[in-house]
Amino acid sequence: MVDLFTYPPVLKGFIVLIITGFAFPITGVYLLRMNLLPLRFMLMHGAILGGALSLAMSINPFGGTLVINLLLVLLMTWMSRSLKADPGQLSAFFMVVSISVAFIFIYRFQVPAKDTLSLMWGSLYTLNSFEFIGTLVFSLLLIIFQAQYRHQLRAVFFDSDVARTAGVNETGFYYGIILITAVTVAAAMKLIGALLLDALLLLPALIASYHAKSYKGMVLWSSFWGGLFATVGFLLSLAFDLPASSTIAVFAALVFLILILTQKK
Amino acid sequence: MEHSLVLFQNEKQIFFSDEHWLYPLFEVEQFLGERSISPNELFLRDKIAGKAAAALIVKLGIRNCFIELLSERAIPVFKKYGVNYSYQKLVDHIQCRTEDLITDKMTLEETYLFLRKRAGKVQGVSLKINSLSVDIAGKQILDNLELDLGRGEQLVVQGENGSGKTTLIRSILGLIPSINGSITIGEEVVGSSGWQKNRVQTGYLNQETIKNNFPITAAEVVAIGLSSQKLPETERAYRVELAMRKTGSFHLMSKLFHQLSGGEKQRVSLARCLCQNARLLLLDEPTSYLDEKGREELCELLVDLSKNEAPTMLLVSHDSNWTDRLKWQGKILKGGKLW
Repeated sequence: MVDLFTYPPVLKGFIVLIITGFAFPITGVYLLRMNLLPLRFMLMHGAILGGALSLAMSINPFGGTLVINLLLVLLMTWMSRSLKADPGQLSAFFMVVSISVAFIFIYRFQVPAKDTLSLMWGSLYTLNSFEFIGTLVFSLLLIIFQAQYRHQLRAVFFDSDVARTAGVNETGFYYGIILITAVTVAAAMKLIGALLLDALLLLPALIASYHAKSYKGMVLWSSFWGGLFATVGFLLSLAFDLPASSTIAVFAALVFLILILTQKK
Repeated sequence: MEHSLVLFQNEKQIFFSDEHWLYPLFEVEQFLGERSISPNELFLRDKIAGKAAAALIVKLGIRNCFIELLSERAIPVFKKYGVNYSYQKLVDHIQCRTEDLITDKMTLEETYLFLRKRAGKVQGVSLKINSLSVDIAGKQILDNLELDLGRGEQLVVQGENGSGKTTLIRSILGLIPSINGSITIGEEVVGSSGWQKNRVQTGYLNQETIKNNFPITAAEVVAIGLSSQKLPETERAYRVELAMRKTGSFHLMSKLFHQLSGGEKQRVSLARCLCQNARLLLLDEPTSYLDEKGREELCELLVDLSKNEAPTMLLVSHDSNWTDRLKWQGKILKGGKLW
């Protein structure tokens, strides 16, 4: 199995997965606390639109997905805050619009649907240099963001009104969190796929929320579980010749199940 | 005597001041507070003293004094509390508005707090509302509302559900973007850049401070009051501890906030406001989720707070039985106005 690491795509995939495994669950904490779960579904559909557009225009699907997702979250957040529209309903609206426009592009430009839908299950071993470095840099920035603004983030997560009266720029942090979520989802989709990205984002944060005794503990435990799932899942996939993304997701789900059942007892 | 006030310890001069009015006595209070000196060893010489100065001298614990110009109104105070006094000249009263404002009904504690407020020696900041009107969804909630609350004063606003109590609080907090009229906290108009910079001077205690069981400890909740301040971690921890001790919630430090009782949550939230160093406290129906014990504890805590740090406090509630116990001045919010 060690020999496999001599192959650059495997080594690159392993490095990026470990780093994101520790970093991306931080976004999972944001998603859970800010109740942004509907946003995640919208971003998955946005990714298909981004992929279809990119393939139709012969540009990098990762970049296209990122741009479309950023536009969608900004539009949705602006509409929900300015027009007082329900974020869940807006997410559903943009989901439908995204997937409809995506299929129009697929049909009109004769984009192979299989290539677009490959985004749904990720492609860890096909990272190019831009995607590899970009994902690593973003992961480090995410960790720095969390460390630098942990006090302000804690206030925003606790209560938005209280955060404002404590002098925190709550609106700025809200938009920041939304943008970070969009980039994380786009990156995680490339690594592990749209359908399985929750294994890297949400499951670690969910598990941490069951046993963490503080906000600080919640962030650290989420990061720990994410790193563990990524490392063990990846090594198991190599050992048993299984797809990395599915192995990580199954391992994370098993740990989640065991912890839930243990806690009930 | 050259100085306006001189303090001796066993005939040795240890402090003097050239300030006017009651400020030299407040300086003595600070001076003594930083040292361990027995008041029995002290002798005070003051240029002029009336009823207000006499009350402060008593509060400082000083037993012996000489006053150059003494008001007759000060003598009953000295006699009542056993202060040995002598004077150079006795007058029936001195030209001082403060002396006129102290009534015989006021206790020593009430007089002391009153004088601290007049001297600006309280944490509170003034709140002034001019012609405040707020429309929400086409309905006029507040209509040319006026309010003037001095530094360290407390006010209870009562009103029926839907009368606009929470809207009033949220307007003062700057959480309602479109209002007519003006709200001034200290020197800053709500919404201005100066207010934005000093936003932490307003603390907010709402009805229910957390909506789910997100894991966050009581100490972390208190530390939220320091969120926008750059402080070393040791200083941050010290301030959190201090605030929690003041509100009797120190023992709850490492407990999960959502597992606390209603009364404990309000203690912790009050500690958050103290940690923030809030000079104006806005309390929105703070007893909503409290049992009788919790209500009693909160009442004691607020009364203590009004006597010690004395932030300006505005409390809205429909619970008149409870607010009567606070013995704060009260107003009714009806028809969008305060009566």
